[in-house]
Amino acid sequence: MTSERFLALIAAYGADARRWPEGEREAAKAFVAANPAAVHAALAEADEVDALLFLSRAVQPSMALRDRVIASAAAAGLKARREGRRWLDRLALALGAGWAVATCAGVAAGIMLTTHLTADAQADAVLYQASLMAVDDTEVLG
Amino acid sequence: MALVADPDEDLVRRVGQGDPAAIQAMVARKLPRMLALAHRMLGDAAEAEDVAQEAMFRAWKQAPRWTPGQARFDTWLHRVGLNLCYDRLRRRREVPTEAPPERPDEGPSPDRGLMAADVGNRVNAALAHLPDRQREAVVLCHYQELTNIEAAALMEVSVEALESLLSRGRRGLRLALADIRPGAEGV
Repeated sequence: MTSERFLALIAAYGADARRWPEGEREAAKAFVAANPAAVHAALAEADEVDALLFLSRAVQPSMALRDRVIASAAAAGLKARREGRRWLDRLALALGAGWAVATCAGVAAGIMLTTHLTADAQADAVLYQASLMAVDDTEVLG
Repeated sequence: MALVADPDEDLVRRVGQGDPAAIQAMVARKLPRMLALAHRMLGDAAEAEDVAQEAMFRAWKQAPRWTPGQARFDTWLHRVGLNLCYDRLRRRREVPTEAPPERPDEGPSPDRGLMAADVGNRVNAALAHLPDRQREAVVLCHYQELTNIEAAALMEVSVEALESLLSRGRRGLRLALADIRPGAEGV
């Protein structure tokens, strides 16, 4: 680190070593340690400019601006869904599917039961008819 | 190309998935930075709000298709914000004005002395009167705390050119504010 480079460094980045370029920081700090009297005036001047710059306060976003920006996320196409909410959605879907399967099973069982009962009833009717016919034949034939 | 470490990577991914908590966290993290950038670049509160809001809207559009590792999201967002600021600065220059723009009050209040708020306003006014590129260099490096490499890349200049802009900008501010002694009573 030369004296010329050190002066250029603090003229650009100021007196705070944390703002000096990372690659030159240690060399510049060593230069200050080795030449405290020579750099004192330049550092003090740079420090004054730093202090002036810090007098400018940053404006803070209003709540209205924050709200508008958050609302604009939906307008930009971001779907407001949380990870937890996605699990709820999946659970609801699974439950819905369960109900659908149960309903189908119930309907199928109902159809089968109805078919079975109808068949029994039809068999009873045929036997009854047959018994009636048998009575008639006896009566006719003696 | 080396992958770029990005402290915002996870947050951007969650924003891209529409996570409301991540959206709020992104607003808390980036909106003040965008507003400060635009306010110092433009020197106008209403315009700064418009720029910050538009930059954040573009962040929402970008998040779902953001590719990690190629650049830092914060640097990308600064480029968006700066472009929006330069659009407005260009429009200002193109609009013909009969009277020169009103200069902000650059002197201390005569009856109150030089209080901190006055000094802050004077620093802002001095900043606003720097040439655009000097102001941009000071804003990016000093206020937005970007590294010299990030700032130079954003401004599309070499690091040496950035340092020259910074030096001239700081010198200009010191001259414009020569009567102020930071640390003096009330300052």
